[in-house]
Amino acid sequence: MSYSAAVVLLVTLNFFLPRVLPGQPLAALSDPRSSTYVGDAERRAAVEEYYGLDRPLGEQFGGYLIGLARGDLGTSIRLNVPVQALLTERLPWTLLLVGSSLSVATLLGMFVGIQSGWRRGRSSDRGLLGLFVALDTVPLFFVASAAAYVFAVRLGWFPLSGGRTPFSDSWGLLRQAVDVAHHLVLPATIMALQFAALQFRVMRAGMVSELGSDHLALGRLKGLPEGRLKYRYAARNALLPAVSVLAVHLGFAVTAAVFVESVFAYPGLGRLLFESVASRDYPTMQGVFLLLSAIVLAANLAAELVYRRLDPRAAR
Amino acid sequence: MIAAAILVALGIALVPVLAPYDPTAVVGASLAAPSSAHLHGTNDAGQDVLSQLLVGARASLVTGLVAATLATAVGFLVGATSGLVNGWVDVVAMRCVDVLLALPGLPLMILVAALVGPSRGTIIAVIALAGWPPIARIVRSQTLILARGDYLQAARGLGAGRLYLVRRHVLVALTPLVAALFASWAATALVLEAGLAFLGLGDLSSVSWGSVLQRALDQDAVYVTGAWLWWVLPVGMLITATATGLAYLGVALEPRANPRWQRG
Repeated sequence: MSYSAAVVLLVTLNFFLPRVLPGQPLAALSDPRSSTYVGDAERRAAVEEYYGLDRPLGEQFGGYLIGLARGDLGTSIRLNVPVQALLTERLPWTLLLVGSSLSVATLLGMFVGIQSGWRRGRSSDRGLLGLFVALDTVPLFFVASAAAYVFAVRLGWFPLSGGRTPFSDSWGLLRQAVDVAHHLVLPATIMALQFAALQFRVMRAGMVSELGSDHLALGRLKGLPEGRLKYRYAARNALLPAVSVLAVHLGFAVTAAVFVESVFAYPGLGRLLFESVASRDYPTMQGVFLLLSAIVLAANLAAELVYRRLDPRAAR
Repeated sequence: MIAAAILVALGIALVPVLAPYDPTAVVGASLAAPSSAHLHGTNDAGQDVLSQLLVGARASLVTGLVAATLATAVGFLVGATSGLVNGWVDVVAMRCVDVLLALPGLPLMILVAALVGPSRGTIIAVIALAGWPPIARIVRSQTLILARGDYLQAARGLGAGRLYLVRRHVLVALTPLVAALFASWAATALVLEAGLAFLGLGDLSSVSWGSVLQRALDQDAVYVTGAWLWWVLPVGMLITATATGLAYLGVALEPRANPRWQRG
């Protein structure tokens, strides 16, 4: 119910934002005096045709919905190609980056969170908590730039930017895969560190709330080994909230991807958004916004369904 | 905390006096390494980096604090009202919050900021826009717990209006929570300000930490020449230190907001 409302809002928002925000951003595209004027006549015509500003608002909205259903998101002002083609070209890179970093981070954050929560209040726990709170607040673009400077420029271990070596199409498949992985390491690690911080905090809090529970006390009285108590008794229950925040992390992942891809010139959707901001390429920006939001909504829905299966209490 | 606030305010007020140069004037060679004349070197245009950092602090801190204040105020008002007034107001308000929370924040902020055009007001507005929904949700759940309390029921029985309840009881009881939320949102707002500036959506007419970073990271030369060390590193450290300080403040205030956490 909430998700269908969100989808309706998203689609409506995407239509109305450029039309109602102050400054008349769309009219400025065909105004020779404005800084965002589209000089190229053919591209200007394409933009005007897509937004259809000379038609009544209802007709514009209808045209927009029909276009959306057909997957027509307009034409990029900057590159003069369909926005849809740009999105399909960039999406796999973002999925690769977010997918690899999220999976590493989830495992790492959960594992460290279990250890830290189990030892609540001891110096190792406090140290880890402080470290992860800091990791959570450090601006990503700064960490990314620092990693680029140290590991790519100074040490030369990894490439400074891009998703693959230019003109590597002719290489063998294995060599290409290694090349892509090599470009992936730095940006994925930076993103993973921040996700791990989020996961760590949820997992740790879950462990802490399990510490005083009765079933744990009973297990202890039965003389069960420490490891069994930690993983099978406490961590198993603490896992529930950690799973439910995974989808929330995907929202953060989108933010992180925009910054990290921008710093490393990684050819994903985030970088596309960054590039289209610089050239005020509204159709592309809207397309990226729509696609990223749809992915996050879908992930949220999926997480909710998974959670219901994991915790029968939530289904009621 | 008050002493720290006065110190920060004093620092911000004194900054133009402390800065050795005009942050926008060309006062040295391009990308000069740190020396006694320029403690943090110069940027590509030959402007003094230290002066830019000092003067930029004002724009960054003011933006962050104003945005966090707005977000907290709107979030508190919506959350507290929603928690006290049952019925359709509550339902509508929380549906809006749910939907806004479900959308990814940054792309929305970027879209709005790019469409309206970069200015300080735009940045403050979009950060506040992203900030109020989560705050409203937390404040509402705490208000619901409060509303069950005896003294609020008593006040209501004596004929107290809703506005009076919000002002005299909910606000007072939730002050620690609101303070904690404000501190952690100020940290986020500060980082977001720099982030939006880095993405090219900052206020181009004024010097801020974000605009310094954006200018530096816009060129590959900053890595190759080593200018990264005196240009990017100090700004990044300043943003990080300020944001982390505010975030720790928020974490430290949490136990006061929720006495349950104080046990154990």
